[in-house]
Amino acid sequence: MAAPGNVGVRSSLKALSQSINRPSITLAAIVLALALGAMRLPFLEYLRPIGDFYIALLKICVLPFLLSTIPLAVRSAMVGGSAGGTLKSLLIWLLIALITVSAVTALVTSLIFHYLPADEHMIANVGALVGHSTDSIDVEFAIDPNGMPQSTVGMETGIFSVIPTNIFAALSLNDSVRVLIFAVIFGIGMVMTERQSGHSIFGALRHVQAVCIVIFDWFNLLVPIGIVALIAPQIALLGPDAFTVLALFAYAFLATSFLLLLTAILLSALSLRVAPATVFAALLKPMMLGASTRNTLICIPTALETLKDDLKVKSEICDLYIPIGFATIRFGTILYFIVTTLFMGALMGRSFSLIDLGLVAAFAITASFATLGLNGIAALGPLAVVLRPFGLSYEVAVPLMIIIDPIAEIIRVMLNVVINCMIPTFARSVRFGK
Amino acid sequence: MVAGIIMLPRRAAARVLGVIAITTCIVVFAPPSEATEISSPIAARDLQSIIDAKILRVAVTRFDLPAFHAHRFDGNLIGAEIEMAKQIGQALGVGVEFIENADSFDAVVDLVASGSADIGISKLSQTYARLRHVRFSKPYITLRHAMLFNRAAIARDANGQPPAAVLQKFHGRIGLTANSAYVEFAEANFPAATLVEARTWEDAIESLLVGKVDVIYRDEFEIRRILKNRPTLNVQFGAAAIVDQYALLSIAICDTCSKLQEFINYHLERTKNGFTLKTLLDSEIGK
Repeated sequence: MAAPGNVGVRSSLKALSQSINRPSITLAAIVLALALGAMRLPFLEYLRPIGDFYIALLKICVLPFLLSTIPLAVRSAMVGGSAGGTLKSLLIWLLIALITVSAVTALVTSLIFHYLPADEHMIANVGALVGHSTDSIDVEFAIDPNGMPQSTVGMETGIFSVIPTNIFAALSLNDSVRVLIFAVIFGIGMVMTERQSGHSIFGALRHVQAVCIVIFDWFNLLVPIGIVALIAPQIALLGPDAFTVLALFAYAFLATSFLLLLTAILLSALSLRVAPATVFAALLKPMMLGASTRNTLICIPTALETLKDDLKVKSEICDLYIPIGFATIRFGTILYFIVTTLFMGALMGRSFSLIDLGLVAAFAITASFATLGLNGIAALGPLAVVLRPFGLSYEVAVPLMIIIDPIAEIIRVMLNVVINCMIPTFARSVRFGK
Repeated sequence: MVAGIIMLPRRAAARVLGVIAITTCIVVFAPPSEATEISSPIAARDLQSIIDAKILRVAVTRFDLPAFHAHRFDGNLIGAEIEMAKQIGQALGVGVEFIENADSFDAVVDLVASGSADIGISKLSQTYARLRHVRFSKPYITLRHAMLFNRAAIARDANGQPPAAVLQKFHGRIGLTANSAYVEFAEANFPAATLVEARTWEDAIESLLVGKVDVIYRDEFEIRRILKNRPTLNVQFGAAAIVDQYALLSIAICDTCSKLQEFINYHLERTKNGFTLKTLLDSEIGK
């Protein structure tokens, strides 16, 4: 049992954190970051180490938090006897969300490119941009099939890449997917042995979780500074020339993203029967933490706190879905891959039928899973899976996407956070098979 | 005609006989035809004969090879290859005469093989066919073979695979310069492809742009130079480098000139000449 003094300290810390992270301050920090970034002032590069330091602080407790939260969530679901129903409900809503996000993205983007087609001038500018940003050789091959070095030798592929064969190695490598899978399997095993022997370490895990939350509360005091230090240099990376050339892509990507963000907030409000402004204000903190750190996993504790404390979503559902959903379901990447594919189609004069759009959406969902464990530019690799079946050049797309990635990465993480947060709100209100 | 001669006065007949005799002499003592010469080059030609003649005859293509050699506005030749030829001449202590009437790369080799030139410098690749007629120096630069390909056309054949998979076993239409080493290279490396030989490299590029061919084939410098000078092509066209095929750009040397070959190799080894892909691409003459 916690001492009254400790509880008082923690609640005052929480109150201070809430005061510092109230929507008005968060929004002001975003506006300041955007304005500084747009001005492209030289001193912004000096903010980058501050931002990196902030991200490093936030990462301290992510894996211990996952290792404690997931077994607790598994136990909560299994002991309560609602595991089957909760899982079924979450899976169905997840499937609906995946289909809806990909379908809306494909349709809205294709409509945008239909009414705002790429003209010759823009294609010429994009070509020039690609030419200046690459070394001009985009494919290397050998006439002798044995002439190319095998770069993938020794790499684990497919299902083996997510099996936690060595949990300690996974922890040391920050391999969150393997850690998650281990935590789920270990959580199920712990519940079963608890039933047999009566012994358990769930109490200790609950304590570890509480410690992690306290540490996150400390670092949350720095969120506004983190937003400015991380977003401003990132915005400054994107020069006005690049934006002018890639304006069509940016319009489609931003328009579709904000449409989906808005829809997710509205649907969450509808599901929770609260005002959209309330949901927006609550989700602003995890959303902006994601935007500034460009790391979805870091937002897990804040998102859980927001959903459970501010929006009153059932703890059991949130604890079960949010860590797994944040680590594995990348709505932002799905949207990004679809928009990129349709943009490349517009550049190269390829049109898409409805069946093509469906296939683009399906390939984008599949490719998004291949980005697990990857961040930033490395996560663009699986884009080839979406582009190549339609005869579109991955080699042209990558340099363009690298140029716009500083902004796109921010939006992708915001989408991951908000849409993943929407799913437990639905699973809470509508339970299938009940 | 015979009757005509008989009918002519003695003085006129003597004049006609004189013309016949001169013509016969010209036919007999004139240099043999190119084909004959390739099979029997002048045996004495080598380093000493060049020094004795005080002139090094250097064959180059009539057309410019940007970054390698080009004609200045006043008609004079400039470029890294021209400088290299002048340096060799200087090292030999002789003057340099450029023979610039070759319409193709093979024609430069033919001029050397026929004895009309002592050496040939025009971005010449060593090939089996050429080595039958001339010697080559050590390469002064080695460039990877490369292709510029129509992305959409290659993607159609790729069936979801990377473009390299299609290019490696390319069976479509390849554009290249006629009478260049790349005809031999293409026949060896892409036996299933149809070769479309263009008169000039510019014609080959044009055939790619209008869709007559899906790929053009040459060395990495030429492919990268196209994209460097016309970056807008990057959207539709991609560049591929072949990592195990190299163009060994060397100086063609007359077949009997073993001492000259040794001399040139020593010179190349000593001077290094500064031929690199980057310097060539950055060269003002390359633009």
